[in-house]
Amino acid sequence: MFYVYCLSDEVTAEMLDGARGVAGCEPRLIEFDGISAVVSEFAETNIPVTREHVLAHERVVSRVLSHTTPLPFRFGTLAGHERLESYVVSQKSSLSLALERVRGAVEMSVKIIWNVEEAGQRAVELEAEAVAKVAATAGAGTKFLLEKRRAIACDELLKERAERLQNWLEKAVNDVVKEAFVQMEPAEKLFLAASHLVSREKLADYRARVEKARGELPELHFLTSGPWAPYSFSSLFS
Amino acid sequence: MKPSPESPAPAIEPEIETAHAEEFVEHLRRVTDTLPPRINIDAESVEQGLAKLVLTLIELIRRLLEKQAVRRMEGGDLAPEQIEELGLALMKLEEKMLELKEQFGLAEEDLNLDLGPIGKLI
Repeated sequence: MFYVYCLSDEVTAEMLDGARGVAGCEPRLIEFDGISAVVSEFAETNIPVTREHVLAHERVVSRVLSHTTPLPFRFGTLAGHERLESYVVSQKSSLSLALERVRGAVEMSVKIIWNVEEAGQRAVELEAEAVAKVAATAGAGTKFLLEKRRAIACDELLKERAERLQNWLEKAVNDVVKEAFVQMEPAEKLFLAASHLVSREKLADYRARVEKARGELPELHFLTSGPWAPYSFSSLFS
Repeated sequence: MKPSPESPAPAIEPEIETAHAEEFVEHLRRVTDTLPPRINIDAESVEQGLAKLVLTLIELIRRLLEKQAVRRMEGGDLAPEQIEELGLALMKLEEKMLELKEQFGLAEEDLNLDLGPIGKLI
């Protein structure tokens, strides 16, 4: 059984010199028709999610990333030689396209926290006024529906605000980003998580744009990170 | 095309930048608390997964019914007695769902499906 880290058509054995992977094993390459899998030996059939293992995975993938952009597997991907070969060979053309898509680029992440109570406060106030007018004489069923109406109105307002902020962020980084993948959960404090595929030569410009955007809305709390291997732009084994 | 050894890609180290580390750590802690301790597939987790899937679909339909009821109430389609009756029925449905979730050891956030690029089902 192998622990599988990533795929690349540019990785060389020298890039992995001295690296230590999961369970302290040395990663190596197995080539299948021009695409190499970075793997290490793994004796078990499942892998505990521990800090040590996750960091070992990230260490090997980052080592490759520092030289070239691979397609990373998610943490915990195990496969035998036959299954791995079958996957790479049968998916060769889509993997080649995927490698071309991420070539020379890295993933950057922007996460934003807002005060969800403040963001939805106006809807809450309006609804509370409406509910108070009828609640005194309303039965349990009517009160239930009025409360649901309040909650729905609040959700819709939050969604609208979240979409405005998503558009604002997109506009800020649009011309330095190759692709974006954005997840929004307006009802949560961490309401927006954006993954941006950025060419290596545009990284400095991207960072400057994000820094400028942070300054424009100080009431939002940002966490930016990267560069990472393009996990959000690879769909291996999916 | 392999990178040339004379001009290798510059080494890059990931950086994490925030002025609000505690808030993001709190969020990540909530996410990691829900991760399974092992990545594994066995019969018990398949059964649990099936219960989750069925209850997620029921929850989706329940929420759609609530939204439809609210729209009808706002639209003036319903007499006050009908609003009360519909509200009571939906209230009982919500209570039943709470019971079922408890029975299967599922939290509210468990009843969702991640549809990848499309987002979450609920």
